[in-house]
Amino acid sequence: MGTILLRMLGAMLLPVLLCVLFYQAEKNKRYAALPFMVKQVIIGIAFGIAASLATEFGVPVKGATLNVRDAAPLAAGLVFGWPSGLIAGLIGGIERWFAVLWGAGEYTRLACTLGTILSGIIGASVRQFMLDNKKASWFYGLAVGITVEVLHMLLVFLTHVDELHKAFEVVMVCALPMVAANSISTMLCILAVVALSKRREPNNHEVRKIAQSFQRWLLVCVMLAFLITSAFTSFLQSRLADSTVNDTLRLNLEDVKEEIRTASDKHLLELTRQIAGELEGGSQLALTALADKYNVSEINLVNAEGIITASTYSGFVGYNMADGIQSRAFLPLLAGSVQVVQRYQPTSSDSSISRKYAGVPLSEGGFVQVGYDAQSFQRDISEQVVTAAKNRHIGQEGCIIICDESGTIVSDRDGHEGEQISVLGYASTENVEEFVTFRSPIYGVSSYCMFTQTEGYYIIAVLSVSEAQFSRNVAVYIQAFMETIVFATLFAQVYFLIKKLVVENIQKVNDSLAQITGGNLNVTVNVRSNEEFASLSDDINTTVDTLKHYIDEAAARIDRELEFARKIQHAALPSVFPPYPMRKDFSIYASMDTAKEVGGDFYDFYMLGEEKLAFLIADVSGKGIPAAMFMMTSKTLIKGLAETGLEVNDIFTQANAKLCQGNDAEMFVTAWMGILDLKTGLLQYANAGHNPPAIRGADGGYTFLKSRPNLVLAGMDGVRYRKNELQLHPGDQLFLYTDGVTESQNPRQELWGDDRLLMSLNENPGLPVEALCKKVKADVDAFAGEADQFDDITMLSVRLNSLPE
Amino acid sequence: MNIEKKQSGTTLTVTVSGRLDTMTAPALEQELKNDFPGLSQLVLDFQNLEYISSAGLRVLLGAHKAMKGNLVIKHPNEALMEVFDITGFADILTIE
Repeated sequence: MGTILLRMLGAMLLPVLLCVLFYQAEKNKRYAALPFMVKQVIIGIAFGIAASLATEFGVPVKGATLNVRDAAPLAAGLVFGWPSGLIAGLIGGIERWFAVLWGAGEYTRLACTLGTILSGIIGASVRQFMLDNKKASWFYGLAVGITVEVLHMLLVFLTHVDELHKAFEVVMVCALPMVAANSISTMLCILAVVALSKRREPNNHEVRKIAQSFQRWLLVCVMLAFLITSAFTSFLQSRLADSTVNDTLRLNLEDVKEEIRTASDKHLLELTRQIAGELEGGSQLALTALADKYNVSEINLVNAEGIITASTYSGFVGYNMADGIQSRAFLPLLAGSVQVVQRYQPTSSDSSISRKYAGVPLSEGGFVQVGYDAQSFQRDISEQVVTAAKNRHIGQEGCIIICDESGTIVSDRDGHEGEQISVLGYASTENVEEFVTFRSPIYGVSSYCMFTQTEGYYIIAVLSVSEAQFSRNVAVYIQAFMETIVFATLFAQVYFLIKKLVVENIQKVNDSLAQITGGNLNVTVNVRSNEEFASLSDDINTTVDTLKHYIDEAAARIDRELEFARKIQHAALPSVFPPYPMRKDFSIYASMDTAKEVGGDFYDFYMLGEEKLAFLIADVSGKGIPAAMFMMTSKTLIKGLAETGLEVNDIFTQANAKLCQGNDAEMFVTAWMGILDLKTGLLQYANAGHNPPAIRGADGGYTFLKSRPNLVLAGMDGVRYRKNELQLHPGDQLFLYTDGVTESQNPRQELWGDDRLLMSLNENPGLPVEALCKKVKADVDAFAGEADQFDDITMLSVRLNSLPE
Repeated sequence: MNIEKKQSGTTLTVTVSGRLDTMTAPALEQELKNDFPGLSQLVLDFQNLEYISSAGLRVLLGAHKAMKGNLVIKHPNEALMEVFDITGFADILTIE
């Protein structure tokens, strides 16, 4: 027993070991790099060999061979993929077919071969069609393992329909251990891999899918239904079997009883007739001599009045037959009955004596009554009794045993005549009533027994328990097998139905919703395979439509407001050119082209008294209304400070300090500001983190006016700005710009850049202020082409035309 | 943009790669905001940062203020350095 368990355990653990091995092999880079199909073939062959080994190491038990062959292909299919399952199933099955040549069981050859191939196919199909090609859960392993083995058992029946009895004996032995071993082995395979994958991906808290939750619950329900129906069937079949045993035993007993009584009746009547014949023939023998001759116990002559006139017992003479219940039964002989025979029973005259009586009428009136005791008639009819028992079979192995009142066997199946009934192992019947089934060992086999008494005999009907329960077991097993298959099919069907009706539709809805949330509000959900989803689709579409309407409305409103903001912003900038038509000593031009979004660029210029021209260009970080508002604040602040006559660097220093106060939005402004003394041509300027302007001497080209910039305005409190100075000469021209110019993009997302700006400026360096700005703008537009501009494009150009003499 | 964080003691090193512009700057801002408390030094490694816009500069300014100056910018490329120079950020930031 120990080795049997060990071998079974070994065969069970082999596929588990292989699972672990191949799962870990994925860590090996060379193995992992192999194509999917190659790996599948390798795994298929390995598990096929495992299945073959299971065949070779099968455990012979009672003429059948227990093995764990089906687990390997099943595990390969469930854990690794359908091709490996199919390959392993084929290898295991075909090996089993040929294994007969070197000693495997012939009886289940076809069934086992088919069973193993089927297990591969089922493992592969379950993974492919039910699990969406993902690893199974352990309970799947268990359930599929059970189903496959039950199929295997049914195959044993199917391949031996003409000898179900033997097939069933094989199945009875194999079913439980093989179903258990194969399903547990498959389950362990999956558990092992799950444990490994958990270690590999420790944070695997994924929310369960509908299909998975559903599968779990469906499985629980199906299992519960299976258990309940199985228990019910088992109970019902047991009761049915009990009642069948009762009926079979009773009918047989009654038959035998009837047979013995008939034989005994016939025999006694025959004797009585012979005695009557002798008496009527005028026999001279005395009644006692006659009784001796025919070996009967008692002869009574009764007259037409029913009074005993002569008897072998003188004491009976003069007895009126009408006086006793037993004797009264003979009176119909006086009224014309031709014969009366009684069963063996206590006599009316002396209840301690049991006798069997028969009577026939005499031609001269009255009748003769013959009494007979057990010993006598048992001797006379023993042949019939023996035959009655020997010829009778109850079921296949059951039999009748007859013994006499002392418990000596008169007849039985195996020739124990003359021995005491107890040698058969028969328990006492003292507390048992007639025709009640009880259990007792007979011939060393636990059996159902029932007894009755007749004519001084005990008749015992015997049917072995195993035989009595055989048909019940067949019924229960077949029922359980069929239910397994039915429930498995049901499970698969309902699962597919749900998947088709719910999960796939949800997927479709989700796909559409993903597009909608991705920004495409024009996608409609259109799942119309059933009413619920059609209504859901309509609801979603209506919601999206409503949403779209609101969004459009809101967008239109925002657009209007932004447009308004842009107008205000533009209105704040000087936009009449030339601004000082009376001044010929300098010219100035500026332009701002706002991007689609409101930006934070601005430029400004104003006269400080008659002799100084202030001009600046700035860029507020960020976009939209906040940037526009910050720009207005900055512009106003700077202008206010400039008009108090501060030097350019002090304007920035103070503006910065003011802007830093309450700048919760952490916005900042880059700015370049210059104050040109029109009398001397001296330019004083400060740079708060802004792009360097380009400058052109009277006859040269443009170059960047590099100066070390200070930090942007509103960046940090306490920054002191530097003042730079530059002496301008008549003809010198400055070009200020924001990064919207140099960071314009073309459709290939290339930036226009400083170099292109210089090139553009220097193509025609002599252009006056307005023409210069327009040329640069045209070049930027040509570069950008179709690409959207995200930033304002702002430029300002100043030329010193002349200085006073 | 891609953000990688590595903390040793109270020094947090954040490696930012890709583009730090209007679209991506809020993500970095959000990331950093949660970390400021309890930090003694914040190191921003810009080795693989290709571009920084004014929105990105704004995040740096915010970080500079929140860290009270204990902000170190590491490995900015030339273009980035130019931006820092032009905007005057080079004056206030510790750049290594």
